[in-house]
Amino acid sequence: MSTGTLTPRAEFAHSAEASHAWSQTMAMSKRSIIAIVRQPALIIPSLIFPLFFAALGASSFNRATQLPGFPKVDSFLALTLAASVLQGVIFGSVTGGAALAVDIETGFFDRLLASPTSRVSILIGRLAGNALFGCIEALFFTLVMIPFGVNIRSGPAGIAVITLAGGLIGLSIGGFMAAMALRTGSAEAVQGVFPLLFVSMFFSSAFFPRETMQGIYRTIANYNPLSHLYEGMRDLVITGWSFDAMLKSLLIPIGIGCVSIPLALLALRRRLRAV
Amino acid sequence: MAVMSGTNSNNDYPIYAEGLMRHFGDVKAVDGVDLQVNAGEVFGFLGPNGAGKSTTVRMLTTLLRPTAGVARVAGFDVVKDADQVRRRIGVALQDAAIDPLMTGHELLALQAVLYGIPKAKVRDRSRELLERVGLTGAADRRVGTYSGGMRRRLDLALSLIHQPTVLFLDEPTTGLDPMSRLALWEEVRRLNAEGTTVLLTTQYLEEADQLADRIAIIDHGKIVRQGEPRELKAQVGAPTLVITVPTGQLDQAREVLRSFGELRPTAEGSLGVGLSAGAEAVPAVVRSLDDAGMQVQHLELNEPSLDDVFAEATGYRLEGAASASGLPQAQGAEGGTGKRGRKRGTNETTGESA
Amino acid sequence: MTSTSTSTASVTTAPATRATTSRAASGLMMRGLRTITRLPSAFFPAMLMPIFQSVAFSGTFFAITKVPGFPTDRSINWFMPLGVLMGSAFAGVGLGFSLIRDLETGFFDRLRMSPAPRNSLILGPMYAAWFRSLFVAAVVAGVGFALGARLTGGVLGMVMLFGGALGIATVATGWGLGLAFIFQDMRGAAIMQLGLFISMFLSTAQAPLSVMTGWLHGVASLNPITNILRMSRQGFVNHTVNGQTVGTGVTWHDTWGGLFAIVGLSAAAVIFARRGLNKLDT
Repeated sequence: MSTGTLTPRAEFAHSAEASHAWSQTMAMSKRSIIAIVRQPALIIPSLIFPLFFAALGASSFNRATQLPGFPKVDSFLALTLAASVLQGVIFGSVTGGAALAVDIETGFFDRLLASPTSRVSILIGRLAGNALFGCIEALFFTLVMIPFGVNIRSGPAGIAVITLAGGLIGLSIGGFMAAMALRTGSAEAVQGVFPLLFVSMFFSSAFFPRETMQGIYRTIANYNPLSHLYEGMRDLVITGWSFDAMLKSLLIPIGIGCVSIPLALLALRRRLRAV
Repeated sequence: MAVMSGTNSNNDYPIYAEGLMRHFGDVKAVDGVDLQVNAGEVFGFLGPNGAGKSTTVRMLTTLLRPTAGVARVAGFDVVKDADQVRRRIGVALQDAAIDPLMTGHELLALQAVLYGIPKAKVRDRSRELLERVGLTGAADRRVGTYSGGMRRRLDLALSLIHQPTVLFLDEPTTGLDPMSRLALWEEVRRLNAEGTTVLLTTQYLEEADQLADRIAIIDHGKIVRQGEPRELKAQVGAPTLVITVPTGQLDQAREVLRSFGELRPTAEGSLGVGLSAGAEAVPAVVRSLDDAGMQVQHLELNEPSLDDVFAEATGYRLEGAASASGLPQAQGAEGGTGKRGRKRGTNETTGESA
Repeated sequence: MTSTSTSTASVTTAPATRATTSRAASGLMMRGLRTITRLPSAFFPAMLMPIFQSVAFSGTFFAITKVPGFPTDRSINWFMPLGVLMGSAFAGVGLGFSLIRDLETGFFDRLRMSPAPRNSLILGPMYAAWFRSLFVAAVVAGVGFALGARLTGGVLGMVMLFGGALGIATVATGWGLGLAFIFQDMRGAAIMQLGLFISMFLSTAQAPLSVMTGWLHGVASLNPITNILRMSRQGFVNHTVNGQTVGTGVTWHDTWGGLFAIVGLSAAAVIFARRGLNKLDT
């Protein structure tokens, strides 16, 4: 074989490898979406519960919106949209993480490792599935609440940002869940993280504005990145389009993802080393 | 179906069932079972999984209502007088787990409370039973740390807390090692010697053979044989002579054997024949084979076993190599179906009866 | 082995014993309580959850107390009784979870085969639920007081709180046992929790009727849990009429509805459980 033919072939091989990794990632992503769609019992709670709490909050706390510290809104529901997206996506990410742990428990993950599939595509594919589901959830909550009087003041561009933010939250929280799943290999352990995430929402401005809180709650909420993420998305709903709100909505989940995804990759490497 | 004592009234049988049925939708799990268990006997209840054994026991122990029929245990109707029945029976069910979080001692104390044993007597009764089943040393350990054999022994102790007159043991030795099995058999014999009537369900024919005074075989929800093991074996008839000859002589040997009785399924490479003239025909068989110039490499005479009774009654074997999934190619077996004897459910005992 | 195949010895003279309902139920209660120390993972989440709920709701929804007509100026006074009742409810359904485990493993067959009165099979877990509920109520109330809850209704106020907790525990136990008998597997557990969670929140769990608006006001007004919450909160909130404070302390006016709801729901739940037990035989 001449060297003249080697170089193009190597190039071809390289590009083939890249496209192969891409198609594997897409396949893994598709699998995680199919898994979600085919088990509605797993995803329905993540769609229903946030709506239930939004409906409860709208009736219970509507009068509170007249109090000092609350932004001016027509209905408490407008304040809860962003919180519903956060709750739903967190719920969904836990489910996705638990599914990965189940793959590990049942040995399906080992089967993937035994195939020539790119290791990283196994993880990225699943996280991409999480992200897509996060987008769908964000759009779902937004579209459900519009008929109930929630006016998205930032218009279609705001809806697009909220949808994208939902995807990014899915990706970043999903990263933590994947790290947990890869580290422990236990669906129960992943499910056990949910209360922690849920607690962290209560120590943020996701339900009531920071301005209405007092003492230690307010201090924690001030430092909780979820408060700022929530406020960015909330402002897109109740105030209108602003560059600042968009940045908060997108950059904070990206920032969280910068921590969580490397953690997941580390956990993956650790697991591969152990195999 | 054998009724042991024509003079007994239904109330005198510790266990009595007539036309007992239990249907689950279209499935007839138990389809007209008649049972008469006499006082003081060990009664073996044989059948494969799904034959209706456990459903029958669940009805007799008041856990399940019959769809039709009558059942009386310890003289009381299992539906109308369920409470009276419960006071008189002890039950060790294979599926009835023991709480792994409790200690043996705590479980016995709870059982004593449920059976209304006076507080003053609970401690002595528990100690006596723990000693009897050899668990005194483990009494304060959580059951979760017990071995399978220890759990079965504790289960037996629990079923005896109120000194029942009728004891139901549901596959008491399934999964136990041989030593534990022998110890449990010994305990059953002791209980029986003390006058306890025992109904024992098992899949192990040897167990039934060792322990039971009488047995019933249930298949597809119906009792297909009932009686003393010795009688039932005798009904199967002729003993089986199994011979091994060189492979090239198998066909010729089969022809010779056919004149001594019905060919029976055996392991591949050997031939079996039910000797219609009994064990006395063995020398004649050997002579005939010798006269035909055949070299007999191995010879054994098997008396009918409960497995033969089971196979004869149901059309398939319960245990051993010749399982229901298909016998080893029955060399020379007539019909060549691999299944021994009559079709399931027929009561003919064939012309080979001794 | 003795064989007396033709014996006609009377079998009806066997020693026949029967436990009293209360003794058998007490025996089963002890077993239910033992699980707390032997399987803490099954009990402590049910205790931590109401503590977390009381703390988180009080902090997050603090501003709700500023709404005109809200019957207390301390959010912990409003949310701690909710935590107590929620914890008691989950202590009750916890016994339903235990029953599912017993049904799945077959341990419950052992209980059914005993001559213990059938009612004791319901009452045993019920007693255990009451003890668990009192324990959870004491811990959650203790945390509430540590976080600044103020008892304005005196000792009778505490009696109302613990009475409400026992009432909810009774209802939840009956509900949990009944569903366990029907489903006999973990599907029942999901319905137990969901049903209880939703019915608790479709009441004055988060806000009083005078503060509520819209659909929830109608639902909460009809929900008997609202009456139980009203009764239980008496020691911690003011009495209001049309949003105006008219006094503090325990009144018959705010008590009878709760008692009526507890008796009615408890009776329904216990009958539901008893019917489920009867159906096991069939």
